[in-house]
This record gives sequence, structure tokens and C-alpha cells, in this order.
Amino acid sequence: MSNDHDQHDSFDPVLAAASEWMLKCDRGLTPREQDALSSWLAASPRHREAFAQCRWGWEEFDRLAGLSEVRARPADPDLLAHASTPPRRQARWLWPLAASIAVAGILTGIGMGLWRTDASRGVRPDPIAITRVEQRMLDDGSRLEIDRGASVAVDFARDVRRVRLLQGQANFQVAKDPSRPFIVEVGSVAVQAVGTAFSVQRGTGDVAVVVSEGVVAIGTDSGPAADHRGGTLLHPGDKGVVSLSEPGGAVRVTQLSREQLDEAELWRPRLLDFDSVPLEQIVAEFNRRNPLQIHLADSAIASRQLSLSFWSDNVEGFVRLLESSFGIAVEWRGASEVVLTGKGGRARG
Amino acid sequence: MSAPDSNRSQWFIDEVLPHEADLRGWLNVRFNRVQDVDDLVQEVFSRLVRAYDTGPVANPRAFLFVVARNLALNDLRHRRYEAMRADALADPLTIADEMAGPRDLLAKQEDYKHLVEAIQSLPERCRQIMTLRKIYGLSQKEVAERLGISVNTVEVQGGIGLRKCIEYFRQKGFLRTPTP
Repeated sequence: MSNDHDQHDSFDPVLAAASEWMLKCDRGLTPREQDALSSWLAASPRHREAFAQCRWGWEEFDRLAGLSEVRARPADPDLLAHASTPPRRQARWLWPLAASIAVAGILTGIGMGLWRTDASRGVRPDPIAITRVEQRMLDDGSRLEIDRGASVAVDFARDVRRVRLLQGQANFQVAKDPSRPFIVEVGSVAVQAVGTAFSVQRGTGDVAVVVSEGVVAIGTDSGPAADHRGGTLLHPGDKGVVSLSEPGGAVRVTQLSREQLDEAELWRPRLLDFDSVPLEQIVAEFNRRNPLQIHLADSAIASRQLSLSFWSDNVEGFVRLLESSFGIAVEWRGASEVVLTGKGGRARG
Repeated sequence: MSAPDSNRSQWFIDEVLPHEADLRGWLNVRFNRVQDVDDLVQEVFSRLVRAYDTGPVANPRAFLFVVARNLALNDLRHRRYEAMRADALADPLTIADEMAGPRDLLAKQEDYKHLVEAIQSLPERCRQIMTLRKIYGLSQKEVAERLGISVNTVEVQGGIGLRKCIEYFRQKGFLRTPTP
């Protein structure tokens, strides 16, 4: 979504690369990254200038250290969310208008700060962090969707594109480049593809690979840039499972039905578009796709019809929109359950 | 010494030096494997003075602890100490805050207007990351835990946040645009 936003700015790819480097420096570079950064800096004076600006800017923010009174209070990620936002954000809208603005906001990636109206002032409990599924584009144009709680490490070389799935599951839509095989490593299991789409899930004892497009080979990761095409081949609709403790062992291949395939991909973000749909149905759709479960405690709101567009993993934004613009009271019960009730009075639909 | 220099010295004596003992004590206890604490303290002081020379500093004590911890963690990482003590990762501001006097810092937000506004202009996720990393001094890993997102996301979204902040600075003329 941030890409949509970028196009309106004068997007500067050198600055983007420099700021990525700054964040890597901030978390600590690996020796390999250190080398890569040195050569990137050596490549152009524009790189050096952009990086110098990023370093300056990054350190400049240290001035804000301890800006707020922090004693005996958990860190508030939204400390700066309320104050002096543009006037548009402070307006109280009538709800039909709010819906269209809010939806436009999400489509252009303006951000969720939009819906922090003062309705929640004072009584808002500590924000509960709801993870979004991460959508990430790699340098080669391949797209990754990284599920909540999953993590990957990208390691691209000239002759091979390696991505390590450290935990959880991810979906890969691989950009075609026959000269550089794309390999997903899970422990010592290697999943190789050339221009294809598939999901890999790292379980406790095994790895599951589901192919939606193209052909994928599962093998072991022995030897440098080994050709894994000698391994077990999976075709679209196939699910292959291999033990992590016995990576050279047999791959159990099953054919998934259309429904099973859809089921397996429910976690992946989709733009959900609702046109005058009862809230009950919208909530059911979110619940199917998210670990966070929304309960409607009130039949009056269940039948209210709403029109909105949301990414399926942006359940937090959805709940916040209901709270701020549709007169719905929200009660969080831990991080995985939220109960909605009508406040009465404002309901119009 | 010129007048600004003597102001600075006075400020340093009043606002910074009183925290030195706490800072050293904290470093010695929490980061006892840092090779040269003196060096580190000098570096933190000189960064703080540089910051003071070029603009306001919200909370010198917090600045000292946050920057010191960043440098200490870097030092440990460089020397490949994998197993860092869990308590070394305690929120530095909790410690910085102990014994700190009452403050009215948010009232002075005007002074940091360009920084605060740059953060406020960010998309939510970027804003939260910058806030936790810079105001609360959490490490990227801690930010990930606090927000329940992956460390990858913190790195990527933090990078986007920083880029947007720099663009904001350029737009507002706080920073010159690189000559093409």
C-alpha cells in the first residue's frame, strides 16, 4: 500500500536504498552486509550523499529521546498520533461520509491515524498490537507475503536467489530469471522454483509446500548452489510435506482440492470489497482470515449494512473504523478477541 | 571561550555531568563486557554536545542513556557476543527516568516541531516504529516484540519511515536536496 503513496511523492530510489541501509546499520550489519554497503557507497557520490543525509536524519531523532514522561508507563507507540494532525483528521464526520473518506484513505495508504478520533480519548486502553501480513517486494521483482509471526532472511547472490524461512509461513511469487534459481531454504530443506508461485510453511517438525502456479522442486540443501531440480517435483495444486529432521527422506505429496487450496491460502491478504453487506457477513469474512476473532454481541448491529473496502489482514483498521465512524463500541479481550456492541443513537443504516 | 561556548559549558555542567556517575554505573552493571566504558562515555558526551550545538535536546539524561545503550549494543555485536544478558536489554528510559526530576517536556514540543511533525506525517506503522525506537529508545528487536510484528517489518517499515522523514525535511527546507 505504501507504494501507492510513494507515487505521489517524488520517489527517490537512492534515498530509499540509503534509508534501508541506515536501518540495517542500526540493527547491526553482518560482515557480508558491511562489504555490500561499502561497495554501494563507493559506487556513486549520490549514494554517499543520500546515506550521509539518512545518518544525519536518523541521529537527529535522538533529540527526542525521553520526550515524554515515561516513568512507570509502557512505551506508547502512538504517543505522537494525536497532536497537531491536519484539520481534516480532526473533523467529526457524519458516518456515511466517513466511510468513503476512510476507504479512500486505506487505498492510498494514508494510514490509520485517520481514525483516531477523540471518541476514544482518555479511555483508550493500551493499544493491542495486531500484526499485518507483510507484503514485500524483493530486488528482483519477486513478491513475498510473510504471515504473522513468520520471518525470512533474504540472501541474493549473482547466481542464486536464496531466501531462508526462519519460522512461520510465507508465499512466494517468483520473478522469472532462469539464470538465477530462486531457492527457499527451511532448515536443510530446499525448495526451488523458476518463475512460479507457492507457499512454504515451517511447522515444528516438517515443512509444507503448496504450489499454486508453475513447478517447484523440493530437495536437500547440499553443496553450494546445488541444483535442486533433481528433487521431488510439485505441480499446481500439489502439497508436499517433508520432515525437517530427515530432509533427504520421502516427500509426501497430496493433491489439494480447490477448496483445500483456498483454505490453505486464507491467511494471504486480499482486498475485500463489500457493497451494502450486513456487518455479520463482513465480520465472518474477517474471522475466517485472521487469528483475531470479532464477536458481535448485539443483533441490532449484526444486520447493519455497510459498504467498505479493506485488506483482509487489516482487521485492526477495520475494528477501529467501526469504533470511530460507525458508532460501535469496542471491547478488547486480549489480543485475539474483540467484542462489538452498538452504542445506540447514531445508527442510521 | 566565546559566549556560546561558555553557555554550553554551563549547560554541560548543570544538565549533563550530574548524570555521568549513573551512566557509568549503569554501563558497568549492564554492559560489563563493553571494552572501553571511558571511550563510550566520551563518545556519548560528544554526540550530546554536537546535538546541543545544532538544536534542542528534549531530555539530556534520556539522550545519554539511549545513545549509550545503542553504542554499547553495537560494540557487543561487533565483538560477536551472541548471548547478551537479558537485563542488558531493559528499557533504558526506565533507568534514565529513575531519580530524574519532574519535567514538562511535552509542553516544549514546539522546539522539536520539525522532528515531531516529520514523525506525525508518517503512515501509522512507520510512525510507531520511529516513536518506539527514537523516543523510547527500544532496539529494533524490542520494537518488533512491542508491536507484535516481525523484525523484518521493523527494518523495512523503519527504512520507509526514515526515507519519508528525509523527504519531509527536504520539502520543508531543513535539508538540501542532493544536486543531481
